[in-house]
Amino acid sequence: MTDLIPMTALGGAAPRSRRHGALSLVERPDIALASLALRRGAVAPAPGGLVLPGPGGLASADGLAAFWTGPGQWMVEAAGQAEADFAAALAAMAPGCSVTEQTDGWACFEVAGDAAALEALAERLVNLPAAALAPGRATRTVLHHMGVFALRRDPGCLALWGMRSAAGSLWHALDQAALRLTAFDET
Amino acid sequence: MTRLSGHLVDTARRLSFTFDGRAFAGHPGDTLASALLANGVQLMGRSFKYHRPRGPIAAGSEEPNALVTLGRGARAEPNTRATVAELFDGLEASSQNHAGSLQRDWLAVNDRLAPFLAAGFYYKTFMWPKAFWEKLYEPVIRKAAGLGALSGLPDPDAYDRGYRHCDLLVIGAGAAGLAAALAAGRAGAQVILAEEDFRPGGRLLAEGGLLDGRPAPDWVAEVAAELATLPNVRVMTRTTVFGAYDHGIFGAVERVSDHLAEAGGGVRQTLWRITARRSVLAAGATERHIPFRDNDRPGIMLAGAIRAYANRWGVTGQRQAADPVAIFANGDDGHRTAAQLAAKGVPVLGVIDPRRDAPNLGGYETFAGATVTGTRGRLGLTAIEVTRGGRAEWLDCGLLGVSGGWNPNVHLASHHRGRPVWDEARLAFLPGPGGPAGLIPAGAAAGQGGTAEAMADGLRAAAQALGDLGIAPAPVHLPAAEAEPARQEAFWHVPGKGRAWVDFQNDVTVKDIALAHQENMRPVEHLKRWTTLGMATDQGKTANVTALAVMAELTGKAIPETGTTIFRPPYTGVSLGVLGGGDTGRGFRPTRLTPSHSWAEAEGAVFTEVGAWMRAQYFPRPGETHWRESVDREARAVRAAVGICDVTTLGKIDVQGADAGDFLNRIYANMMGTLPVGKVRYGLMLREDGHLYDDGTCARLGEDHYVVTTTTANAGTVYRNMEFARQCLWPDLDVQLISTTDAWAQIAVAGPRSRELLTRIADGADLSNQAFPFMACGAITVCGGLRARLFRISFSGELAYEIAVPARYGHALMARLMEAGADLGVTPYGTEALGVLRIEKGHAAGAELNGQTTARMIGLEKMVSRKKDAIGAVMSRRGGLASETRRLVGLVPVDPGAGVVPGSHLFAADAPQDTAHDQGWITSACFSPHVGTMIGLGFLENGEARMDEVITAANPLEGTEAALRVVSAHFVDPEGGRLRD
Repeated sequence: MTDLIPMTALGGAAPRSRRHGALSLVERPDIALASLALRRGAVAPAPGGLVLPGPGGLASADGLAAFWTGPGQWMVEAAGQAEADFAAALAAMAPGCSVTEQTDGWACFEVAGDAAALEALAERLVNLPAAALAPGRATRTVLHHMGVFALRRDPGCLALWGMRSAAGSLWHALDQAALRLTAFDET
Repeated sequence: MTRLSGHLVDTARRLSFTFDGRAFAGHPGDTLASALLANGVQLMGRSFKYHRPRGPIAAGSEEPNALVTLGRGARAEPNTRATVAELFDGLEASSQNHAGSLQRDWLAVNDRLAPFLAAGFYYKTFMWPKAFWEKLYEPVIRKAAGLGALSGLPDPDAYDRGYRHCDLLVIGAGAAGLAAALAAGRAGAQVILAEEDFRPGGRLLAEGGLLDGRPAPDWVAEVAAELATLPNVRVMTRTTVFGAYDHGIFGAVERVSDHLAEAGGGVRQTLWRITARRSVLAAGATERHIPFRDNDRPGIMLAGAIRAYANRWGVTGQRQAADPVAIFANGDDGHRTAAQLAAKGVPVLGVIDPRRDAPNLGGYETFAGATVTGTRGRLGLTAIEVTRGGRAEWLDCGLLGVSGGWNPNVHLASHHRGRPVWDEARLAFLPGPGGPAGLIPAGAAAGQGGTAEAMADGLRAAAQALGDLGIAPAPVHLPAAEAEPARQEAFWHVPGKGRAWVDFQNDVTVKDIALAHQENMRPVEHLKRWTTLGMATDQGKTANVTALAVMAELTGKAIPETGTTIFRPPYTGVSLGVLGGGDTGRGFRPTRLTPSHSWAEAEGAVFTEVGAWMRAQYFPRPGETHWRESVDREARAVRAAVGICDVTTLGKIDVQGADAGDFLNRIYANMMGTLPVGKVRYGLMLREDGHLYDDGTCARLGEDHYVVTTTTANAGTVYRNMEFARQCLWPDLDVQLISTTDAWAQIAVAGPRSRELLTRIADGADLSNQAFPFMACGAITVCGGLRARLFRISFSGELAYEIAVPARYGHALMARLMEAGADLGVTPYGTEALGVLRIEKGHAAGAELNGQTTARMIGLEKMVSRKKDAIGAVMSRRGGLASETRRLVGLVPVDPGAGVVPGSHLFAADAPQDTAHDQGWITSACFSPHVGTMIGLGFLENGEARMDEVITAANPLEGTEAALRVVSAHFVDPEGGRLRD
């Protein structure tokens, strides 16, 4: 076990969180992320029993979740596994696939709140029809000039993966949008 | 004044407001204009050029005259139309464009000078002396002629932006829009109904008509209530759709809190991008006036606006309720206003109608075959001159309504250069073909302006949209509307002496158009630019078609032959604040930070922007007073001991697959597939045209696993191009790509003591030259088991490594290296020292690979392999590039104290300094602590054969030159022994 102390994407020792009215924002540095791509002729694996979803889909099972990122390509998440070599573990579960560690390539922020508040927030952040972010849907899109993956884990949770180096800008965008929404609701 | 009966204003509640500091009262439902008119205030502003007293002529967003400044201090919003400003308690409004008071504006002297200030006067007058334009003429003209003034202070308000999607966007919630939204809503389509007013209904609120025998606003309320219950319908009031853009995208501004006394910290306005599969343009129509002599006095309004003020707000526009009201109209529509006013007990003088067979709808006198030929009243209308059969008489009059027909609001339909088409029967331009795809004009915007027609046309448009979308329609019963006489006859202006205004906002008169005609500024585009007609905040909504008709008369052509009027976004003024979407300052665009950013910050680093990245440029130490001292110290430390630098910003692309080697052979100019596992190779990438576009290293981590590194600047471009090649050029290859730039914190550890330093953290890994030679790579662990990747590569020319760890440990690793190497003299260095070190070593970077250079020019033509094909390889051997003789050389000043300036051009010592004798240019330069003078890199014709020659580096633009000696580009260790030690 290394004695180096990690730092979250937002530069803190602990994950950042913020509450604006009905919306809660939280940084999730604990989620491991790895890309999985089928090699030529490979059959889609079912890592840990997870059925890899089709376009726009998000699936989860037994602590793992996967979302579609392109033909024959997925991102696989493992909550609580960020400190482990999750890519190596996933590669073992997905023979014949190309797996690449992505955990620190991205930063994950989750917004929790009721469905209406999340949808009001989402339409201020990403140019997507509501169906693309219905519960159980995930998509790659652009948010404030940054490429992100937007995931609707369930009616009350919207997750955004953005590039780690721009985590501060992504957090700022989320925070501002939530703040403006709340301030308006309260008037 | 007492309100007329039947209005839609909540008189039970009182709202206080001020205009020019004077206190007034109005009611919820009022606009600033309706509240001022209710208080007998006609005078609301001064005109643009002549400073003529002006009052409102309209009751909507087309208003050219009643422009006011709302709020004060940093929140002051100039050029707001009083006719759409929703009244709230505490609203502060002030008039603009006057010197002295609004009533006594001394700049009204311009009006006396009018004969000298005709259209085009300043194009001709202020030509000489040239220097006077910027310093004198322009400031004076701008001060004298203009609209409201900006506060000059930062905007304190918050703005937001967002995106909405729908099957059908209905633009305008009048008769047609409500019918369309109801039909589509009931059918189950996702509908957005956008209305610029704060209340839906459009002209149904203003016409005073009955639907199924009940007041039209009752039907509006019923429809609005039903729409509110439909989950698939969203009604956006206070929302102006200002532009139609590509692919069914519309821009809209929602005024979220402009109507609130206290925004409560919320946003002021929101910019919406609405993506609609189909859209219905139900934007209504704008009434046009008829120019006649002195037709611009306060108290002269559009007849339809008078009808709106009377029916919706219960106010008339006279200063005193007893002042007589007259209507000047070329069609039956004006008579409807007169009849309604008379029925409400307003004193109506009569309707002046140029038609000999003018009708009478009851309750007023008709002046058939007559025109208005003049007006009186300094700050407001007091009398009009009516001429009939050559006989003129002056009649007392406190309010004159003018009605010259209606112009459909075709604006959005012409945003994709859809040319409006003239309809002679309706005397109007209608939306033509070629407008935004999927946009269906309906109602008055499509020339169907009667209430019954408009509602039916809204249904038709919805049915068309639903049919296109494959959605089954649902039944909608439309209420019966009353008959509305609408006969009209073309009558565009009253000829005669004096000034007859066409464009009120820009003070353009019939005479100005005649002058434009005389000066041959006849095409409408010339007319507009020469007279300024149709410009500024109202974009000529009440003027353009009339101007065209006047020009047509002068040229003796028909209106459609004279030209059409076309509109660009925005439909109404949009503040820059809302276009920015609320992002200002540091939130304006994303910033990327390196994993060691906060560490560098704590070390006092000075940062520089590299694209979106913030990189440490240098690390000043106490006592250093100039950046050069810091940079020289850092560079020396690398050459003498060891330095560390965060190089995470270099692009990293993970390449896997059975055909990864073959794929990389095609991407890189040099052979990459033969690279052994555990080794790194330098590679060049060419553009399709054979020029260099990026360089970097490629590491082979496994049999079918490589990591490509790119320059910081091209990380995105290289990844994109590789993806394009994978997906589109060679989809048959088994290759998988993904960026890992951010995933790994990569730190350069460079200098003769770098091995010693790394050994201290490398968990026992053997880093000896035998075990881990130059260009080796491999996975190791550091600091007690942290997974890491180690690459033995050098940009500085010294023994050097790059070590990568998961990004979350970049900060801690940097600190650990500093701690572990304290006794070795470890020194953090920034991009500036990085640049010095690579220039000293003669490594090409962005300044050399600028898109115009080739592998041959940097002396690496042999790297372009002939054993295989690669992108750009064939083109790199074409004649034009193969005959290129400029080569990368080193340059030192003959006078050791002299400078070397990048960008300077190179000439033979005695050659003339002109393009014909240009022999190259300096790409990079720095002070070299190693050499002790400035040094440079540059491309020079036949450079490799000109060592020791003294040449001239010249900057003819600035008249500077220096004598430089040509040397090897490798100022440090040309044999490369150090990096292999």
